Amino acid sequence: MTSTTASRRASRTVIWLILLFVLIIVLASIVPSSLFLNLVSRLNLFATVFLGIFIEAMPYLLFGTLISGLVEAFLDRDLMARFISKRPVPAAITGALMGLVFPVCECGVIPLTRRLFHKGLPLPAGIAFLLAAPVFNPIVIFSTSAAFGWGPMLWWRVGLSLLIAIIVGLVFAVEQDPSNVLRPILLSVHDHEHTHNETLSFGDKLQQALLICADEFFEMGRYLILGAMLAAGLQTFIPQTSLLAIGSGQIFSVLVMLALAIILSICSTVDAFVALSFVGTFSFGSILSFLVFGPMVDIKSTLMYLQVFHRKPVAYLILIPFLMSLLAGMAFNYFAP
Amino acid sequence: MPQRLYRSFQALLLLALFLFLMGKVFNNQLLWYINQRFVILTQIGIVFLAILAQRLFTEVRLARERNQVEEHDHDHDHAPSPVNLWIMLIPLLIGILIPAKPLDSAAVSAKGLTTSSALISSNSNSRLFETESEQRNILDWVKLFYFEKDLNPFIGQKASVVGFVYRDESLSEGQFFVSRFILSCCAADGYAVGIIVNAPQADTFEKDTWIKVTGSVDVVSFDGKPSPLIRAETIEIVPQPDQPYLYP
Repeated sequence: MTSTTASRRASRTVIWLILLFVLIIVLASIVPSSLFLNLVSRLNLFATVFLGIFIEAMPYLLFGTLISGLVEAFLDRDLMARFISKRPVPAAITGALMGLVFPVCECGVIPLTRRLFHKGLPLPAGIAFLLAAPVFNPIVIFSTSAAFGWGPMLWWRVGLSLLIAIIVGLVFAVEQDPSNVLRPILLSVHDHEHTHNETLSFGDKLQQALLICADEFFEMGRYLILGAMLAAGLQTFIPQTSLLAIGSGQIFSVLVMLALAIILSICSTVDAFVALSFVGTFSFGSILSFLVFGPMVDIKSTLMYLQVFHRKPVAYLILIPFLMSLLAGMAFNYFAP
Repeated sequence: MPQRLYRSFQALLLLALFLFLMGKVFNNQLLWYINQRFVILTQIGIVFLAILAQRLFTEVRLARERNQVEEHDHDHDHAPSPVNLWIMLIPLLIGILIPAKPLDSAAVSAKGLTTSSALISSNSNSRLFETESEQRNILDWVKLFYFEKDLNPFIGQKASVVGFVYRDESLSEGQFFVSRFILSCCAADGYAVGIIVNAPQADTFEKDTWIKVTGSVDVVSFDGKPSPLIRAETIEIVPQPDQPYLYP
Protein backbone atom coordinates (compact mmCIF):
# COMPACT_ATOMS: atom_id res chain seq x y z
CA MET A 1 0.00 0.00 0.00
CA THR A 2 1.43 3.32 -1.03
CA SER A 3 1.43 6.40 1.10
CA THR A 4 -0.80 8.28 -1.36
CA THR A 5 -3.66 5.82 -0.95
CA ALA A 6 -3.04 5.92 2.77
CA SER A 7 -3.42 9.65 2.90
CA ARG A 8 -6.40 9.52 0.57
CA ARG A 9 -8.10 7.05 2.85
CA ALA A 10 -7.13 9.11 5.85
CA SER A 11 -8.67 12.22 4.38
CA ARG A 12 -11.79 10.29 3.47
CA THR A 13 -12.13 9.24 7.07
CA VAL A 14 -11.70 12.80 8.19
CA ILE A 15 -14.46 13.79 5.76
CA TRP A 16 -16.69 11.13 7.30
CA LEU A 17 -16.06 12.55 10.73
CA ILE A 18 -16.81 16.07 9.56
CA LEU A 19 -20.02 14.85 7.90
CA LEU A 20 -20.99 13.18 11.15
CA PHE A 21 -20.35 16.38 13.04
CA VAL A 22 -22.34 18.47 10.55
CA LEU A 23 -25.16 15.96 10.68
CA ILE A 24 -25.34 16.20 14.44
CA ILE A 25 -25.29 20.01 14.32
CA VAL A 26 -28.06 20.07 11.69
CA LEU A 27 -30.16 17.62 13.63
CA ALA A 28 -29.56 19.55 16.82
CA SER A 29 -30.87 22.70 15.18
CA ILE A 30 -34.00 20.93 13.93
CA VAL A 31 -35.10 19.45 17.22
CA PRO A 32 -36.51 21.65 20.02
CA SER A 33 -34.28 24.03 21.88
CA SER A 34 -34.93 22.40 25.24
CA LEU A 35 -32.35 19.95 23.98
CA PHE A 36 -29.48 22.30 24.58
CA LEU A 37 -30.40 22.63 28.22
CA ASN A 38 -29.64 18.99 28.73
CA LEU A 39 -26.81 18.65 26.28
CA VAL A 40 -24.77 16.98 28.96
CA SER A 41 -27.33 14.27 29.52
CA ARG A 42 -27.54 13.85 25.75
CA LEU A 43 -23.81 13.35 25.71
CA ASN A 44 -24.19 10.71 28.39
CA LEU A 45 -26.86 9.00 26.34
CA PHE A 46 -24.64 9.14 23.28
CA ALA A 47 -21.75 7.59 25.19
CA THR A 48 -23.90 4.84 26.67
CA VAL A 49 -25.47 3.89 23.35
CA PHE A 50 -22.15 4.05 21.55
CA LEU A 51 -20.34 1.90 24.09
CA GLY A 52 -23.36 -0.41 24.15
CA ILE A 53 -23.05 -1.12 20.44
CA PHE A 54 -19.28 -1.30 20.59
CA ILE A 55 -19.03 -3.62 23.58
CA GLU A 56 -21.79 -5.87 22.30
CA ALA A 57 -20.35 -6.15 18.80
CA MET A 58 -16.68 -6.42 19.82
CA PRO A 59 -16.63 -10.17 20.59
CA TYR A 60 -18.57 -10.96 17.41
CA LEU A 61 -16.18 -8.93 15.32
CA LEU A 62 -13.21 -10.61 17.00
CA PHE A 63 -14.77 -13.99 16.31
CA GLY A 64 -15.26 -13.10 12.64
CA THR A 65 -11.73 -11.83 12.21
CA LEU A 66 -10.34 -14.86 14.05
CA ILE A 67 -12.14 -17.23 11.69
CA SER A 68 -10.93 -15.08 8.83
CA GLY A 69 -7.37 -15.43 10.09
CA LEU A 70 -7.75 -19.19 10.48
CA VAL A 71 -9.17 -19.46 6.96
CA GLU A 72 -6.21 -17.54 5.59
CA ALA A 73 -3.72 -19.69 7.45
CA PHE A 74 -5.28 -23.12 7.16
CA LEU A 75 -7.77 -23.28 4.30
CA ASP A 76 -6.38 -24.57 1.06
CA ARG A 77 -7.35 -22.89 -2.21
CA ASP A 78 -7.76 -26.26 -3.92
CA LEU A 79 -10.09 -27.50 -1.22
CA MET A 80 -12.31 -24.49 -1.74
CA ALA A 81 -12.36 -24.99 -5.50
CA ARG A 82 -13.35 -28.61 -5.04
CA PHE A 83 -16.33 -27.81 -2.82
CA ILE A 84 -17.75 -24.76 -4.50
CA SER A 85 -18.88 -24.79 -8.06
CA LYS A 86 -17.88 -22.07 -10.47
CA ARG A 87 -21.34 -22.08 -12.08
CA PRO A 88 -23.40 -19.17 -10.73
CA VAL A 89 -26.58 -20.89 -9.52
CA PRO A 90 -24.98 -23.71 -7.52
CA ALA A 91 -22.36 -21.27 -6.26
CA ALA A 92 -24.96 -18.79 -5.02
CA ILE A 93 -26.97 -21.53 -3.34
CA THR A 94 -23.91 -23.02 -1.68
CA GLY A 95 -22.84 -19.56 -0.56
CA ALA A 96 -26.23 -18.81 0.96
CA LEU A 97 -26.12 -22.06 2.93
CA MET A 98 -22.53 -21.65 4.14
CA GLY A 99 -23.69 -19.82 7.26
CA LEU A 100 -24.30 -23.23 8.80
CA VAL A 101 -20.56 -23.90 8.62
CA PHE A 102 -19.41 -20.39 9.62
CA PRO A 103 -21.80 -19.14 12.31
CA VAL A 104 -20.98 -15.44 12.09
CA CYS A 105 -23.20 -12.39 12.39
CA GLU A 106 -23.12 -9.26 10.29
CA CYS A 107 -19.96 -7.81 11.81
CA GLY A 108 -17.96 -10.97 11.50
CA VAL A 109 -19.20 -12.00 8.09
CA ILE A 110 -17.62 -9.10 6.24
CA PRO A 111 -13.93 -9.73 6.97
CA LEU A 112 -14.56 -13.46 6.59
CA THR A 113 -16.19 -13.03 3.18
CA ARG A 114 -13.32 -10.91 2.00
CA ARG A 115 -10.88 -13.55 3.12
CA LEU A 116 -12.85 -16.25 1.35
CA PHE A 117 -12.79 -14.17 -1.84
CA HIS A 118 -9.07 -13.92 -1.39
CA LYS A 119 -8.98 -17.72 -1.29
CA GLY A 120 -10.79 -17.93 -4.59
CA LEU A 121 -14.46 -18.09 -3.59
CA PRO A 122 -16.60 -17.25 -6.65
CA LEU A 123 -18.39 -13.89 -6.49
CA PRO A 124 -22.00 -15.18 -6.46
CA ALA A 125 -21.18 -17.54 -3.61
CA GLY A 126 -19.45 -14.84 -1.58
CA ILE A 127 -22.22 -12.29 -2.04
CA ALA A 128 -24.91 -14.82 -1.17
CA PHE A 129 -22.89 -15.84 1.90
CA LEU A 130 -22.43 -12.22 2.94
CA LEU A 131 -26.15 -11.52 2.87
CA ALA A 132 -27.53 -14.84 4.09
CA ALA A 133 -25.07 -15.90 6.78
CA PRO A 134 -26.13 -13.30 9.38
CA VAL A 135 -29.58 -14.92 9.38
CA PHE A 136 -29.03 -18.45 8.17
CA ASN A 137 -26.84 -19.71 10.97
CA PRO A 138 -27.65 -21.77 14.05
CA ILE A 139 -27.25 -18.95 16.58
CA VAL A 140 -29.62 -16.56 14.84
CA ILE A 141 -32.19 -19.21 13.96
CA PHE A 142 -32.21 -20.21 17.59
CA SER A 143 -32.60 -16.67 18.91
CA THR A 144 -35.36 -15.94 16.42
CA SER A 145 -37.23 -19.03 17.50
CA ALA A 146 -36.72 -18.05 21.13
CA ALA A 147 -38.40 -14.74 20.40
CA PHE A 148 -41.13 -15.72 17.95
CA GLY A 149 -41.40 -19.47 18.35
CA TRP A 150 -41.07 -22.02 15.55
CA GLY A 151 -43.67 -20.22 13.49
CA PRO A 152 -44.22 -18.27 10.31
CA MET A 153 -41.98 -15.37 11.39
CA LEU A 154 -38.96 -17.66 11.57
CA TRP A 155 -39.68 -19.54 8.34
CA TRP A 156 -40.40 -16.39 6.36
CA ARG A 157 -37.35 -14.68 7.78
CA VAL A 158 -35.00 -17.51 6.83
CA GLY A 159 -36.71 -18.15 3.50
CA LEU A 160 -36.75 -14.54 2.37
CA SER A 161 -33.17 -13.94 3.50
CA LEU A 162 -31.94 -16.94 1.54
CA LEU A 163 -33.99 -15.89 -1.50
CA ILE A 164 -32.72 -12.31 -1.49
CA ALA A 165 -29.14 -13.47 -0.88
CA ILE A 166 -29.26 -15.91 -3.80
CA ILE A 167 -30.83 -13.35 -6.13
CA VAL A 168 -28.25 -10.69 -5.29
CA GLY A 169 -25.53 -13.33 -5.64
CA LEU A 170 -26.78 -14.12 -9.13
CA VAL A 171 -26.88 -10.43 -10.02
CA PHE A 172 -23.20 -10.33 -9.21
CA ALA A 173 -22.59 -13.40 -11.39
CA VAL A 174 -22.69 -11.20 -14.49
CA GLU A 175 -19.46 -9.62 -13.34
CA GLN A 176 -16.64 -11.82 -14.57
CA ASP A 177 -13.72 -9.97 -13.06
CA PRO A 178 -13.81 -9.87 -9.23
CA SER A 179 -11.39 -6.96 -9.16
CA ASN A 180 -14.16 -4.75 -10.57
CA VAL A 181 -16.15 -5.46 -7.45
CA LEU A 182 -13.61 -6.01 -4.71
CA ARG A 183 -11.03 -3.72 -3.32
CA PRO A 184 -7.65 -5.37 -2.90
CA ILE A 185 -6.79 -6.53 0.62
CA LEU A 186 -4.55 -3.75 1.75
CA LEU A 187 -3.03 -5.39 4.72
CA SER A 188 -2.27 -8.95 3.78
CA VAL A 189 0.17 -10.00 6.39
CA HIS A 190 3.57 -11.17 5.24
CA ASP A 191 2.50 -12.30 1.82
CA HIS A 192 6.08 -12.02 0.71
CA GLU A 193 7.52 -13.91 3.63
CA HIS A 194 5.13 -16.80 3.79
CA THR A 195 4.62 -17.66 0.17
CA HIS A 196 5.23 -21.32 0.93
CA ASN A 197 2.38 -21.60 3.35
CA GLU A 198 2.35 -25.38 3.41
CA THR A 199 5.85 -25.53 4.85
CA LEU A 200 4.78 -23.69 7.99
CA SER A 201 4.18 -25.63 11.17
CA PHE A 202 0.80 -25.66 12.87
CA GLY A 203 2.01 -23.25 15.54
CA ASP A 204 3.36 -20.82 12.98
CA LYS A 205 0.09 -20.86 11.11
CA LEU A 206 -1.77 -20.17 14.33
CA GLN A 207 0.53 -17.24 15.05
CA GLN A 208 -0.09 -15.93 11.56
CA ALA A 209 -3.86 -16.31 12.03
CA LEU A 210 -3.71 -14.26 15.23
CA LEU A 211 -1.78 -11.51 13.51
CA ILE A 212 -4.32 -11.35 10.69
CA CYS A 213 -7.07 -11.33 13.28
CA ALA A 214 -5.52 -8.33 15.03
CA ASP A 215 -5.02 -6.45 11.78
CA GLU A 216 -8.55 -7.04 10.64
CA PHE A 217 -9.92 -6.10 14.02
CA PHE A 218 -8.34 -2.70 13.56
CA GLU A 219 -9.33 -2.41 9.95
CA MET A 220 -12.96 -3.44 10.43
CA GLY A 221 -13.24 -2.12 13.97
CA ARG A 222 -12.69 1.32 12.57
CA TYR A 223 -15.96 1.03 10.64
CA LEU A 224 -17.71 -0.53 13.56
CA ILE A 225 -16.68 2.46 15.66
CA LEU A 226 -17.66 5.07 13.09
CA GLY A 227 -20.94 3.25 12.47
CA ALA A 228 -21.68 2.99 16.16
CA MET A 229 -20.98 6.71 16.55
CA LEU A 230 -23.34 7.54 13.72
CA ALA A 231 -26.04 5.24 15.07
CA ALA A 232 -25.64 6.60 18.60
CA GLY A 233 -25.72 10.16 17.27
CA LEU A 234 -28.92 9.52 15.32
CA GLN A 235 -30.54 7.85 18.30
CA THR A 236 -29.56 10.67 20.60
CA PHE A 237 -30.87 13.45 18.42
CA ILE A 238 -33.82 11.91 16.56
CA PRO A 239 -36.41 10.81 19.09
CA GLN A 240 -37.43 7.28 18.23
CA THR A 241 -40.95 8.17 19.28
CA SER A 242 -41.31 10.56 16.37
CA LEU A 243 -40.26 7.80 14.00
CA LEU A 244 -42.73 5.38 15.50
CA ALA A 245 -45.47 8.00 15.36
CA ILE A 246 -45.37 8.15 11.56
CA GLY A 247 -45.20 4.38 11.37
CA SER A 248 -48.73 3.62 10.28
CA GLY A 249 -50.10 2.68 6.90
CA GLN A 250 -49.27 -0.23 4.64
CA ILE A 251 -46.17 1.31 3.10
CA PHE A 252 -45.01 3.74 5.75
CA SER A 253 -44.92 1.14 8.48
CA VAL A 254 -42.52 -0.95 6.42
CA LEU A 255 -40.39 2.07 5.57
CA VAL A 256 -40.18 3.03 9.23
CA MET A 257 -39.09 -0.45 10.24
CA LEU A 258 -36.47 -0.48 7.49
CA ALA A 259 -35.21 2.90 8.69
CA LEU A 260 -35.09 1.57 12.24
CA ALA A 261 -33.11 -1.46 11.06
CA ILE A 262 -30.52 0.90 9.61
CA ILE A 263 -30.40 3.29 12.56
CA LEU A 264 -30.43 0.78 15.39
CA SER A 265 -27.49 -1.16 13.90
CA ILE A 266 -28.01 -4.09 16.22
CA CYS A 267 -26.47 -7.48 15.80
CA SER A 268 -28.50 -10.08 13.93
CA THR A 269 -28.04 -12.54 16.77
CA VAL A 270 -30.37 -10.49 18.96
CA ASP A 271 -32.49 -8.37 16.66
CA ALA A 272 -35.41 -10.76 17.00
CA PHE A 273 -35.83 -9.72 20.63
CA VAL A 274 -35.77 -6.09 19.61
CA ALA A 275 -38.34 -6.76 16.90
CA LEU A 276 -40.53 -8.33 19.54
CA SER A 277 -40.95 -4.98 21.23
CA PHE A 278 -42.67 -3.73 18.08
CA VAL A 279 -45.27 -6.47 18.00
CA GLY A 280 -48.60 -4.78 18.58
CA THR A 281 -47.37 -1.47 17.23
CA PHE A 282 -46.33 -2.80 13.85
CA SER A 283 -47.75 -5.33 11.42
CA PHE A 284 -46.28 -8.77 10.72
CA GLY A 285 -45.02 -7.60 7.33
CA SER A 286 -43.19 -4.58 8.72
CA ILE A 287 -41.48 -6.59 11.43
CA LEU A 288 -40.56 -9.29 8.95
CA SER A 289 -38.94 -6.72 6.67
CA PHE A 290 -37.00 -5.41 9.68
CA LEU A 291 -35.74 -8.91 10.43
CA VAL A 292 -34.78 -9.63 6.84
CA PHE A 293 -33.22 -6.31 5.97
CA GLY A 294 -31.51 -5.43 9.26
CA PRO A 295 -28.88 -8.19 9.11
CA MET A 296 -28.01 -7.29 5.54
CA VAL A 297 -27.71 -3.53 5.81
CA ASP A 298 -27.21 -1.08 8.62
CA ILE A 299 -24.95 1.85 9.31
CA LYS A 300 -21.94 -0.06 10.53
CA SER A 301 -22.12 -2.84 7.95
CA THR A 302 -22.46 -0.29 5.15
CA LEU A 303 -19.26 1.37 6.27
CA MET A 304 -17.58 -2.03 6.41
CA TYR A 305 -18.88 -2.92 2.94
CA LEU A 306 -17.19 0.19 1.61
CA GLN A 307 -13.91 -1.16 2.88
CA VAL A 308 -14.33 -4.43 0.98
CA PHE A 309 -16.20 -3.46 -2.18
CA HIS A 310 -16.10 -0.62 -4.66
CA ARG A 311 -18.84 1.94 -4.37
CA LYS A 312 -21.14 0.70 -7.11
CA PRO A 313 -21.36 -2.87 -5.81
CA VAL A 314 -22.14 -1.48 -2.35
CA ALA A 315 -25.05 0.43 -3.88
CA TYR A 316 -26.38 -2.85 -5.30
CA LEU A 317 -25.80 -4.62 -1.99
CA ILE A 318 -27.97 -2.03 -0.26
CA LEU A 319 -30.61 -1.24 -2.86
CA ILE A 320 -31.64 -4.72 -3.98
CA PRO A 321 -32.20 -6.07 -0.44
CA PHE A 322 -33.92 -2.80 0.46
CA LEU A 323 -36.38 -2.97 -2.41
CA MET A 324 -37.03 -6.67 -1.96
CA SER A 325 -37.59 -6.34 1.80
CA LEU A 326 -39.89 -3.40 1.15
CA LEU A 327 -41.87 -5.37 -1.42
CA ALA A 328 -42.10 -8.38 0.84
CA GLY A 329 -43.25 -6.27 3.78
CA MET A 330 -45.85 -4.50 1.68
CA ALA A 331 -47.06 -7.75 0.18
CA PHE A 332 -47.67 -9.11 3.67
CA ASN A 333 -49.41 -5.92 4.74
CA TYR A 334 -51.78 -6.05 1.78
CA PHE A 335 -52.45 -9.74 1.44
CA ALA A 336 -51.99 -11.14 4.93
CA PRO A 337 -52.63 -8.30 7.36
CA MET B 1 4.25 4.78 9.39
CA PRO B 2 6.84 2.02 9.75
CA GLN B 3 5.30 -1.38 10.26
CA ARG B 4 7.03 -2.01 13.57
CA LEU B 5 5.82 1.27 15.05
CA TYR B 6 2.31 0.53 13.78
CA ARG B 7 2.40 -2.88 15.45
CA SER B 8 3.59 -1.36 18.73
CA PHE B 9 0.70 1.10 18.73
CA GLN B 10 -1.74 -1.67 17.84
CA ALA B 11 -0.51 -3.68 20.80
CA LEU B 12 -0.72 -0.71 23.15
CA LEU B 13 -4.24 0.16 22.01
CA LEU B 14 -5.44 -3.41 22.46
CA LEU B 15 -3.86 -3.47 25.88
CA ALA B 16 -5.54 -0.17 26.78
CA LEU B 17 -8.88 -1.46 25.51
CA PHE B 18 -8.38 -4.62 27.54
CA LEU B 19 -7.66 -2.62 30.71
CA PHE B 20 -10.55 -0.23 30.11
CA LEU B 21 -13.03 -3.07 29.63
CA MET B 22 -11.59 -5.01 32.56
CA GLY B 23 -12.30 -1.92 34.64
CA LYS B 24 -15.91 -2.07 33.48
CA VAL B 25 -16.06 -5.74 34.43
CA PHE B 26 -14.79 -5.12 37.95
CA ASN B 27 -16.99 -2.06 38.47
CA ASN B 28 -19.95 -4.16 37.44
CA GLN B 29 -20.59 -1.58 34.74
CA LEU B 30 -20.82 -3.92 31.76
CA LEU B 31 -24.47 -4.32 32.71
CA TRP B 32 -24.99 -0.64 31.98
CA TYR B 33 -24.26 -1.30 28.34
CA ILE B 34 -25.33 -4.81 27.41
CA ASN B 35 -27.84 -7.48 28.29
CA GLN B 36 -26.67 -9.80 31.01
CA ARG B 37 -26.51 -12.83 28.78
CA PHE B 38 -23.83 -11.27 26.57
CA VAL B 39 -21.55 -10.61 29.52
CA ILE B 40 -19.82 -13.99 29.26
CA LEU B 41 -19.27 -13.53 25.56
CA THR B 42 -17.87 -10.05 26.13
CA GLN B 43 -15.56 -11.32 28.84
CA ILE B 44 -14.19 -13.93 26.45
CA GLY B 45 -13.70 -11.15 23.92
CA ILE B 46 -11.87 -9.05 26.49
CA VAL B 47 -9.48 -11.88 27.31
CA PHE B 48 -8.93 -12.41 23.61
CA LEU B 49 -7.95 -8.74 23.29
CA ALA B 50 -5.14 -9.43 25.75
CA ILE B 51 -4.05 -12.48 23.76
CA LEU B 52 -3.92 -10.41 20.58
CA ALA B 53 -1.97 -7.67 22.36
CA GLN B 54 0.53 -10.24 23.56
CA ARG B 55 0.82 -11.66 20.04
CA LEU B 56 1.52 -8.18 18.65
CA PHE B 57 4.14 -7.43 21.32
CA THR B 58 5.87 -10.69 20.37
CA GLU B 59 5.72 -9.72 16.72
CA VAL B 60 7.33 -6.36 17.47
CA ARG B 61 10.13 -8.09 19.37
CA LEU B 62 10.68 -10.64 16.62
CA ALA B 63 10.72 -7.94 13.98
CA ARG B 64 13.37 -6.06 15.91
CA GLU B 65 15.53 -9.17 16.16
CA ARG B 66 15.00 -9.94 12.50
CA ASN B 67 16.11 -6.48 11.52
CA GLN B 68 19.25 -6.71 13.62
CA VAL B 69 20.22 -9.96 11.94
CA GLU B 70 19.34 -9.05 8.39
CA GLU B 71 20.11 -5.35 8.61
CA HIS B 72 17.33 -4.95 6.20
CA ASP B 73 14.02 -3.28 6.77
CA HIS B 74 10.76 -4.83 5.69
CA ASP B 75 8.90 -1.69 6.55
CA HIS B 76 8.81 -0.22 3.08
CA ASP B 77 6.12 -2.33 1.44
CA HIS B 78 3.01 -2.27 3.56
CA ALA B 79 2.84 0.39 6.15
CA PRO B 80 -0.84 0.41 7.13
CA SER B 81 -2.89 3.52 7.53
CA PRO B 82 -2.46 5.13 10.96
CA VAL B 83 -6.12 6.23 10.76
CA ASN B 84 -7.01 2.75 12.04
CA LEU B 85 -5.13 3.54 15.22
CA TRP B 86 -6.70 6.95 15.73
CA ILE B 87 -10.19 5.55 15.39
CA MET B 88 -9.52 2.72 17.82
CA LEU B 89 -8.74 5.48 20.30
CA ILE B 90 -12.32 6.82 20.07
CA PRO B 91 -14.04 4.25 22.31
CA LEU B 92 -11.33 4.74 24.90
CA LEU B 93 -11.72 8.52 24.81
CA ILE B 94 -15.50 8.39 24.95
CA GLY B 95 -15.37 5.84 27.73
CA ILE B 96 -12.92 7.79 29.81
CA LEU B 97 -13.89 11.42 29.16
CA ILE B 98 -17.66 11.12 29.34
CA PRO B 99 -18.82 9.99 32.78
CA ALA B 100 -20.42 6.56 32.62
CA LYS B 101 -24.13 6.45 33.30
CA PRO B 102 -26.84 3.92 32.59
CA LEU B 103 -29.82 4.95 30.44
CA ASP B 104 -31.94 7.47 32.37
CA SER B 105 -34.68 10.07 31.96
CA ALA B 106 -32.86 11.79 29.12
CA ALA B 107 -32.86 8.48 27.28
CA VAL B 108 -36.57 8.05 27.93
CA SER B 109 -37.32 11.30 26.16
CA ALA B 110 -35.23 10.18 23.19
CA LYS B 111 -36.43 6.62 23.03
CA GLY B 112 -39.98 6.75 24.31
CA LEU B 113 -41.83 4.96 27.06
CA THR B 114 -44.57 2.41 26.97
CA THR B 115 -47.08 1.52 29.63
CA SER B 116 -48.53 -1.50 27.91
CA SER B 117 -46.66 -3.65 25.45
CA ALA B 118 -45.96 -7.19 24.36
CA LEU B 119 -42.17 -7.07 24.62
CA ILE B 120 -42.08 -10.85 24.60
CA SER B 121 -43.80 -13.70 22.87
CA SER B 122 -47.14 -14.52 24.44
CA ASN B 123 -46.41 -18.20 24.95
CA SER B 124 -43.90 -17.64 27.74
CA ASN B 125 -46.29 -15.46 29.64
CA SER B 126 -48.57 -17.72 31.66
CA ARG B 127 -46.14 -17.85 34.59
CA LEU B 128 -46.85 -14.21 35.29
CA PHE B 129 -50.37 -14.78 36.52
CA GLU B 130 -49.24 -17.12 39.21
CA THR B 131 -46.56 -14.90 40.71
CA GLU B 132 -47.40 -12.97 43.85
CA SER B 133 -48.48 -9.47 42.90
CA GLU B 134 -45.77 -7.97 45.07
CA GLN B 135 -43.09 -10.01 43.31
CA ARG B 136 -43.90 -8.58 39.89
CA ASN B 137 -41.52 -6.01 38.53
CA ILE B 138 -42.45 -3.09 36.28
CA LEU B 139 -42.03 -5.15 33.12
CA ASP B 140 -44.28 -7.91 34.45
CA TRP B 141 -47.08 -5.43 35.14
CA VAL B 142 -46.70 -3.82 31.75
CA LYS B 143 -46.89 -7.21 30.05
CA LEU B 144 -49.85 -8.32 32.13
CA PHE B 145 -51.82 -5.23 31.22
CA TYR B 146 -51.07 -5.84 27.57
CA PHE B 147 -52.08 -9.48 27.44
CA GLU B 148 -54.97 -9.64 29.88
CA LYS B 149 -58.37 -8.79 28.47
CA ASP B 150 -60.06 -8.53 31.86
CA LEU B 151 -58.11 -6.23 34.14
CA ASN B 152 -60.61 -6.12 36.99
CA PRO B 153 -58.91 -8.85 39.06
CA PHE B 154 -55.79 -6.69 39.27
CA ILE B 155 -57.49 -3.63 40.68
CA GLY B 156 -56.61 -3.27 44.35
CA GLN B 157 -53.74 -5.79 44.20
CA LYS B 158 -50.65 -4.81 46.12
CA ALA B 159 -47.62 -3.82 44.04
CA SER B 160 -44.06 -3.14 45.04
CA VAL B 161 -41.69 -2.11 42.28
CA VAL B 162 -38.25 -0.56 41.94
CA GLY B 163 -37.41 1.95 39.23
CA PHE B 164 -36.27 5.47 38.56
CA VAL B 165 -38.40 8.61 38.53
CA TYR B 166 -39.37 9.85 35.09
CA ARG B 167 -41.47 13.00 34.71
CA ASP B 168 -43.66 13.38 31.68
CA GLU B 169 -45.63 16.47 30.73
CA SER B 170 -48.63 14.41 29.77
CA LEU B 171 -49.17 13.35 33.38
CA SER B 172 -51.25 15.39 35.77
CA GLU B 173 -49.96 16.93 38.98
CA GLY B 174 -49.12 14.53 41.76
CA GLN B 175 -48.08 11.88 39.25
CA PHE B 176 -44.87 10.59 37.79
CA PHE B 177 -43.59 7.42 36.16
CA VAL B 178 -41.60 4.80 37.94
CA SER B 179 -39.62 3.48 35.04
CA ARG B 180 -37.09 0.85 33.97
CA PHE B 181 -35.25 0.29 30.72
CA ILE B 182 -35.66 -3.01 28.90
CA LEU B 183 -32.58 -4.25 27.11
CA SER B 184 -32.69 -7.01 24.53
CA CYS B 185 -29.17 -6.65 23.34
CA CYS B 186 -27.37 -3.45 24.18
CA ALA B 187 -28.10 0.13 25.18
CA ALA B 188 -28.89 0.90 21.54
CA ASP B 189 -32.16 -0.99 21.68
CA GLY B 190 -33.07 0.05 25.22
CA TYR B 191 -36.73 0.77 25.62
CA ALA B 192 -38.40 2.27 28.67
CA VAL B 193 -41.44 0.84 30.39
CA GLY B 194 -43.16 2.66 33.18
CA ILE B 195 -46.02 2.63 35.63
CA ILE B 196 -47.81 5.81 36.60
CA VAL B 197 -47.44 6.57 40.30
CA ASN B 198 -50.05 8.60 42.13
CA ALA B 199 -48.57 10.16 45.25
CA PRO B 200 -49.31 13.34 47.16
CA GLN B 201 -45.60 13.89 47.71
CA ALA B 202 -44.85 13.30 43.98
CA ASP B 203 -43.04 16.61 43.51
CA THR B 204 -40.46 15.92 46.17
CA PHE B 205 -38.67 13.30 44.07
CA GLU B 206 -36.02 14.43 41.63
CA LYS B 207 -36.04 12.79 38.22
CA ASP B 208 -33.72 9.77 37.92
CA THR B 209 -33.95 9.07 41.64
CA TRP B 210 -34.17 5.33 42.24
CA ILE B 211 -37.18 4.50 44.36
CA LYS B 212 -39.20 1.60 45.65
CA VAL B 213 -42.91 2.25 45.32
CA THR B 214 -45.43 0.23 47.31
CA GLY B 215 -49.14 0.66 46.95
CA SER B 216 -52.32 -0.62 45.37
CA VAL B 217 -52.87 -1.08 41.65
CA ASP B 218 -55.49 0.66 39.59
CA VAL B 219 -56.27 0.91 35.87
CA VAL B 220 -56.02 4.14 33.90
CA SER B 221 -56.02 4.91 30.23
CA PHE B 222 -52.72 6.27 28.93
CA ASP B 223 -52.18 6.93 25.23
CA GLY B 224 -55.47 5.17 24.65
CA LYS B 225 -54.23 1.96 26.23
CA PRO B 226 -55.35 0.55 29.58
CA SER B 227 -52.31 0.95 31.79
CA PRO B 228 -51.39 0.18 35.37
CA LEU B 229 -51.25 2.90 38.00
CA ILE B 230 -49.97 2.58 41.55
CA ARG B 231 -51.61 4.55 44.34
CA ALA B 232 -48.50 4.88 46.45
CA GLU B 233 -48.63 4.15 50.14
CA THR B 234 -44.91 4.35 50.70
CA ILE B 235 -42.09 5.56 48.47
CA GLU B 236 -38.56 4.99 49.68
CA ILE B 237 -35.35 6.06 48.02
CA VAL B 238 -33.12 3.09 47.19
CA PRO B 239 -29.62 2.86 45.70
CA GLN B 240 -29.38 2.21 41.98
CA PRO B 241 -29.53 -1.56 41.48
CA ASP B 242 -26.42 -3.34 40.22
CA GLN B 243 -28.48 -4.42 37.29
CA PRO B 244 -30.27 -1.24 36.23
CA TYR B 245 -32.17 -2.80 33.34
CA LEU B 246 -34.76 -5.53 32.99
CA TYR B 247 -34.58 -8.17 30.29
CA PRO B 248 -37.50 -9.33 28.21
